[in-house]
Amino acid sequence: MRHVIIGVGAAGISAAGTIRQNDPAADIIMISKDEFVHSRCMLHRYLSHERDEKALSFVPEDYFETNRIYWIKGRSAEKIDTKQKEVLLDGGERIAYDKLLIATGAKSFLPPVGQMRRAKNVFGLRDLSDAQAIDRMSHNAKQILIVGSGLVGMDAAYAFLERGFQVSVVEMADRILPIQLDETAGKAYQQLFEKAGCRFILGRKASETVLDDDDMLKAVILDDGTRVECDLAVVAAGVRAAIECAADSTVQSERFINVNERLQTSDPDVFAAGDVAGLSGIWPNAQKQGQIAGWNMCGIQMNYVDTYAMKNTMNFYGLTTLSLGRGAVIEGDQFVICEDSRNYKRAIIRDGKLDSILLQGDISYSGIYQYLIKNQIVLGEKAERIFDVSFADYFDIGPDGQYCYKIF
Amino acid sequence: MKRIMIDETKCDGCRNCELACMQAHRSTPGSIYDLDLTSRENESRNHIVSLQDGSYRPIFCRHCDQPECVMSCMSGALKKDPDTGLVLYDGEKCGSCFMCVMNCPYGVLRPDRTRTRVLKCDFCTSAGTEPSCVGACPRQAIYLEEVIG
Repeated sequence: MRHVIIGVGAAGISAAGTIRQNDPAADIIMISKDEFVHSRCMLHRYLSHERDEKALSFVPEDYFETNRIYWIKGRSAEKIDTKQKEVLLDGGERIAYDKLLIATGAKSFLPPVGQMRRAKNVFGLRDLSDAQAIDRMSHNAKQILIVGSGLVGMDAAYAFLERGFQVSVVEMADRILPIQLDETAGKAYQQLFEKAGCRFILGRKASETVLDDDDMLKAVILDDGTRVECDLAVVAAGVRAAIECAADSTVQSERFINVNERLQTSDPDVFAAGDVAGLSGIWPNAQKQGQIAGWNMCGIQMNYVDTYAMKNTMNFYGLTTLSLGRGAVIEGDQFVICEDSRNYKRAIIRDGKLDSILLQGDISYSGIYQYLIKNQIVLGEKAERIFDVSFADYFDIGPDGQYCYKIF
Repeated sequence: MKRIMIDETKCDGCRNCELACMQAHRSTPGSIYDLDLTSRENESRNHIVSLQDGSYRPIFCRHCDQPECVMSCMSGALKKDPDTGLVLYDGEKCGSCFMCVMNCPYGVLRPDRTRTRVLKCDFCTSAGTEPSCVGACPRQAIYLEEVIG
């Protein structure tokens, strides 16, 4: 059996490991544009010069040898021929497969604002190649513009501040990290970033660009006419699934590659996992999808059921936050806030069940909240002491010593 | 694999296990009598929760068969050792994102006080002994057992 995996991100690597565990004799081939296996969640540590390319890896150095994986790196998979069961590479070679996994992830989206897409010094921050290009360009830069204050934008801002650049962040919403945090929690980070020298321009968006003769962005004009000078810009305005390789094939896709609960595409020998499948954009879920796809590629039928994805943690300047759920209050919700000098906690309880929770400061032992939310556990009297609930309240042990939940 | 089994009905909340864990993970030499209980160098990896009815629940890493913390780790710091079954943590690799804290369904994990590392049971592999907590329990509420992992 020959398994071919396109992509060496969270989903691809996790699938490869799962396949190797279940089929010691299988041929495994991985194809990637990336030259280094790297964790996208740590690209800011590269930009800040805290880690080099190798230290961004999330697998051991001998991963491909120990798992007997043939890795074709620095090459892109251009097309999939499902009839011949072959992947076509950019150099024209054809790689035959029995089972194929598309785990190509996503790529940054540059919005069509002014000449943003033409400018040579405007980047997304998605791959190591982006971070490398940014780093090379930044040697001549002083002023950095970040468009978007989501996690990627704030990561980029953090990295440049660490290196002493002047950083301005433009955000459409009236607060930073608007999807993950509420106003109070966002403000706490805003203050920490401002203390580090960051300038925020909130409630504004870029509407025009000023390029010089060499197609370098010199400034953006905001919707209120303000001009923000810059030598380099990072645009963190979201991503689009990297579905190109499947475009002209029988594998069905729209914005994402369509998959069923076994992560199988419209072609039974082709699977998709991670960002390209559009089920969730976060690391833990991508790894789990890779594992599920890997099992199914080995003929072990498994469904992807742990689909809950509205979850995030962040950690800037030693302030940690856990955020689960949409965080939007509707009529009839119980809204609980608990604050002290070091902590801000906010829970939304809907119909007696936890809908959202935000913990900023101490996030110790908070893993249970995701369980309570995704399994929609009726809280009962525990709603009264939601921030003190712990696994001890649901404590049970299986015969093999593993924990399980006892729900009353 | 070996697992620290728990009989919570025997636990009387003495927290000797927590002290033993702190002692096993201290960075300085010395005995339990000069252990600095407030040092951030040796925070306990396990903890005991006392319930309102006066009973106790020991919260110890299970080194799960399907560890959610490993699934959530984006730096490669958390790995399940295929030979020993232990879920081990490499602090040098850790990116301190704390997605593992979020994803442990049993609320075992927490960031350390510096918010740069996760406090994670290593089965006392770093101390080179059997799990210290087990030896310190006067009630055999925790004990080692071979299980199929």
